[in-house]
Amino acid sequence: MRPLTPRRVVGMCMALLFILFVVVVISLRMGAVPISVRDIVTTLFKSAVGRQDEVSSEFALVVFGLRLPRIALGILVGAALATAGASFQALLRNPLADPYVLGVSSGAALGAIVSLIVAPFTPGAIQVAAFAGAAVTIAAVYFLGRRGGQLDSATLLLAGIVSASFLSAVIMFLMTTLSGRDLRGMAFWLMGDLSSAPRVDLRWLYLLLIIAVGSIYTTSSDLNLILTGEQEARHLGVNVNRVKLVVYVSASILTGLAVSVSGAIGYVGLLVPHVMRMLFGTDHRLLIPASAIGGAIIVVAADLLARTIVAPTELPVGAMTAIAGAPVFIYLMRRRVR
Amino acid sequence: MRNCPPKLACALMLAISAGAALPAFPASSFAAMTTGINDAKRVFTDEVGRQIEVPAQVRRIVTLSPDLTETIYALGLEDRLVGDTNYCDTPAAAKQKPHIGQPLNPSLEAIVALRPDLVLASTSINRRETVDALAKLGIAVYTSNPHTVRGVLASITRMAQVIGADAEGKALVTQLQARLDKLQARLGELPLIHVLFVVWEEPLISIGQNTFIADALRWAGAESIITSHENWPQIGFEEVVRLQPDYILFTTNHGGDRKALDDVRSRPAWRSLRAVELGHVVVSTDEIARPSSGLVDAIEQLARKLHPELFSVQMQGNSSWIGQEIPPYNFGSAAEECGACAR
Repeated sequence: MRPLTPRRVVGMCMALLFILFVVVVISLRMGAVPISVRDIVTTLFKSAVGRQDEVSSEFALVVFGLRLPRIALGILVGAALATAGASFQALLRNPLADPYVLGVSSGAALGAIVSLIVAPFTPGAIQVAAFAGAAVTIAAVYFLGRRGGQLDSATLLLAGIVSASFLSAVIMFLMTTLSGRDLRGMAFWLMGDLSSAPRVDLRWLYLLLIIAVGSIYTTSSDLNLILTGEQEARHLGVNVNRVKLVVYVSASILTGLAVSVSGAIGYVGLLVPHVMRMLFGTDHRLLIPASAIGGAIIVVAADLLARTIVAPTELPVGAMTAIAGAPVFIYLMRRRVR
Repeated sequence: MRNCPPKLACALMLAISAGAALPAFPASSFAAMTTGINDAKRVFTDEVGRQIEVPAQVRRIVTLSPDLTETIYALGLEDRLVGDTNYCDTPAAAKQKPHIGQPLNPSLEAIVALRPDLVLASTSINRRETVDALAKLGIAVYTSNPHTVRGVLASITRMAQVIGADAEGKALVTQLQARLDKLQARLGELPLIHVLFVVWEEPLISIGQNTFIADALRWAGAESIITSHENWPQIGFEEVVRLQPDYILFTTNHGGDRKALDDVRSRPAWRSLRAVELGHVVVSTDEIARPSSGLVDAIEQLARKLHPELFSVQMQGNSSWIGQEIPPYNFGSAAEECGACAR
């Protein structure tokens, strides 16, 4: 494999960003209301030169009021989930780790639901609660997954699965005690859904995303060393505990962020880092940014399908990622066994 | 990290934040564009306490649930209905209107593209998120939230006012109220029949006391045996055995009364219920689960089924009674969705 130069990292990321751009343009174009690329370009041009009054209103509303915010939300969620997945996989040295499988998504969902019951109208409360739920869950799963002081791969995954089902049961219990109206919204949200815009300004969420992904990125060379073994990394001068703390907290923030706005979208955190590893190798200096962009591509594309295949009815995007993701997961797992 | 400059991280972040800047595009500015300037605005408060602003004449209406579509037709305002849901099947003409998806997950952009002056939603089937999103885009959404039969009538009156069709609303509600009064006079002080209203069978889901269905049953001379405060409580079968309803009430996904009875008799647990032994199994139309003008038809039909003695006696004296108030359109085969609607 060629050495990883900054040039190559930038090149690859640019290539991925270009794919993301193409997917975004297609997403802007397609939907229950047919709109041509030409219309989008002329609209963008007219709004850019200040001739907004010439733009037909419902068209502008569809493209800028509905599709664009939804795509922005998809990018946020995809980048957050895939980065969290890549970091969990590195830190736990387990290729099957991901926020969904480890129960971290369920923990965040439980936190979010508790916040909706306790403080339904406080802006940002749901994000904080989802982060707290994610952080507590990953800590619990981490300690449950240890055997004789060592992190055991199978035990860790089982701990994650058990935590996920326990937390889902608690969520079911809470949901049945809520009134009918809240329940309907939540049932959708739990499936992973991008159709409802978050109550907080997207720009704050993006800021949080950038800080968390940035923090994880600063540890990427250390993560490369930790992959070979914690002892070895320690001998090479890596402050393993600090790296772990940074990555766990950041990945919990990312999971909480994604779950608080979109519910539990599965398989993105698991599969995107895998695909990126197959394409670009295991160096985290490339893997982390590539996963972030790749996750954005996958979620925006999946949501495009969710919006269009049975239009005008919309499917939850989580159903799309699970339908596509589960078979790919099995394929990857079996390939690894052989 | 060593040979990978922080510039890269910065570039990446810039790319992402560029994406973040776009959705800040003010949605409220479109709100001003969607509605005409010449129309005088009228302000209303809907049944969940939201303020909405509608033009003097509402010309383009989108309904988000079957009962609201039905009400629009009953008001004779179908010309102004520009879109409804995939579930809207009553009357049959409603199926021909452009659809905006299912009530639970409609396509927001399909709604926007229809340029509605007013969107009608219902707490009985729509999600709060849908209403929030539309309101955020500057679209007027009136949410109806009736818990009683009188509430349904009041809601119809109110919606007609919001649309700017006060006279139509008044005419329809007066006619419906007269029919209800007539029915009440007929039923008089008759003791209420205890019924089990089956919304869904597996698991067994019934209705709570705070639903308009429970109230509709009272108008039909019956009473739900379930006293839950939840709207759609899940009931253990033991509870049904303990309470022993006089009648078991299904909605049309069972076919006719006869078929429902045969069906229930083929099941060991149900067979042992006293009501089933006596053959007291009744099927109501879907309308009983829809808070629309058709609810009164359903109440009348149910009253006739539950108190046949009363009506057969009356019919000899006044044989035209049954045929007298024919519903404005044919409620023939209602769709399977009823169970889903009611939930």
